[in-house]
Amino acid sequence: MIIIKRTVSGIWNLVLGLIVTLKYLFKPAITLQYPTERWAMPERSRGMVSLLTDKDAKKLRCTACSLCVKICPNNAILMTPKKDEQGKRVPDTFVVDIGMCIYCGLCQEVCPFNAIRLVPKYEFSVYDKKSLSFDKEKLSEIGRDYQ
Amino acid sequence: MFELDKLLQAIYFWLGRIFNSLGLPNYLLELLSMILVALLIMAFSSLTVIFLVWWERKVSGHIQSRFGPMRTGWHGWLQTIIDAIKLITKEDITPTDVDRVVFFLAPIILFTSALMAYIAIPFGKGLIVKDLNIGILYILAITTFTIIGILSAGWSSNNKYALLGGFRSAAQIISYEVPLTLSILGVVLLAGSLSMLTIVNTQKGIMHWFIWKQPLGFLIYLTAAIAEVNRTPFDIPEAEQELVAGFNVEYSGMKFAMFFFAEYMNTFLVCAIATTLFLGGWNGPILPSYLWFFIKTFFLVFCLMWIKWTYPRLRVDQLMSFAWKFLLPLAFLNLIITALLIYIL
Repeated sequence: MIIIKRTVSGIWNLVLGLIVTLKYLFKPAITLQYPTERWAMPERSRGMVSLLTDKDAKKLRCTACSLCVKICPNNAILMTPKKDEQGKRVPDTFVVDIGMCIYCGLCQEVCPFNAIRLVPKYEFSVYDKKSLSFDKEKLSEIGRDYQ
Repeated sequence: MFELDKLLQAIYFWLGRIFNSLGLPNYLLELLSMILVALLIMAFSSLTVIFLVWWERKVSGHIQSRFGPMRTGWHGWLQTIIDAIKLITKEDITPTDVDRVVFFLAPIILFTSALMAYIAIPFGKGLIVKDLNIGILYILAITTFTIIGILSAGWSSNNKYALLGGFRSAAQIISYEVPLTLSILGVVLLAGSLSMLTIVNTQKGIMHWFIWKQPLGFLIYLTAAIAEVNRTPFDIPEAEQELVAGFNVEYSGMKFAMFFFAEYMNTFLVCAIATTLFLGGWNGPILPSYLWFFIKTFFLVFCLMWIKWTYPRLRVDQLMSFAWKFLLPLAFLNLIITALLIYIL
């Protein structure tokens, strides 16, 4: 008697399994077809490092205080200061090696002038490791749309 | 409706007239028509396999909330064709220590046995290569060659995983051959014939399908057939997690493709036999007969895929005890009840 009961319940459970997979067959797939479709990244997600430009003065906010260079745990930032025609400190070279960056966001936190920021861009695959060193122009280009 | 048998007859008569006008003997015509039919079946089975592989990937993908192939062509329909081209152009590697002759012959045996069984399948009205009076017996006998192919592939590969896969496969296929044959015997008793055409002709009209008279037989047949073609609840001969790929570990390129081909051809074959025996074959209203045959067969193939992507694999001992302790007594019970009812009524 118990054998028959177990057999029947076993067959019923097999049918239940089939129903579950049939339901999933007609549900839409959750796959995101990456190059043609993309996630909308959260606004404060930390991706690419960028240098922000002041809207009124039309120049970089960076004052070359080198706090970000000091706090960077991987030494990914390289910066040399210079003085511009008004005698203010501005970065002469500002190179971030994105290959070294761990996207911790400490440079963004430590910056007293809100000049450096990690923006929600994440696609920067290249064929050559050297081209991952982004200079001042490239970094300000990345941060152009952000404040 | 438009039936293909008239067209094929017309082609045959046209060829005959050409042969007569050229003064060629009749046996050459027979030979040519045989070769043409063989090529036709080969082309048909290749197309079916190409479609089935794509379809299986789509079904499995959607069951797992994925898409399956999407990039090559509309919803990836070119994917299998491209895979086939890749496999054809790949280097044909024969490992050093294999038994060369057997290693070479194994995929051919498997492929040929799958192809030969297509001879006795009625694809539609008049679309049967040869209506043998022992049709179903012939198919059962021919498909048994599969074991020889798989076992020789496992043996000749000189690889422990391949050998284990071959042994498991031999044990499994021989075990499941018994309930399979017994479940078919119920239909043979009802139809009173082993010929595929007679079996189809006795099932005119949906109420006369043998699935209503033999529901248990149908389920036994389907279960045993899944085991026969090594599909997932019973795929221990090629259990990826245990045996890498089973009997075809050492194969690559076109030989591997032939194993793959034979597997899907066998899948289509068991579904075609199930359609013929239990679902009325090509009988059906309005649509042409061959379309009805394909609708029913592809529905069964879909059921096999559905089952494959639902259930986990059985253990070896569970598999054997399921065959001998559960399916076989059930098949005998089915056969005895059928025979008694036929005797009484």
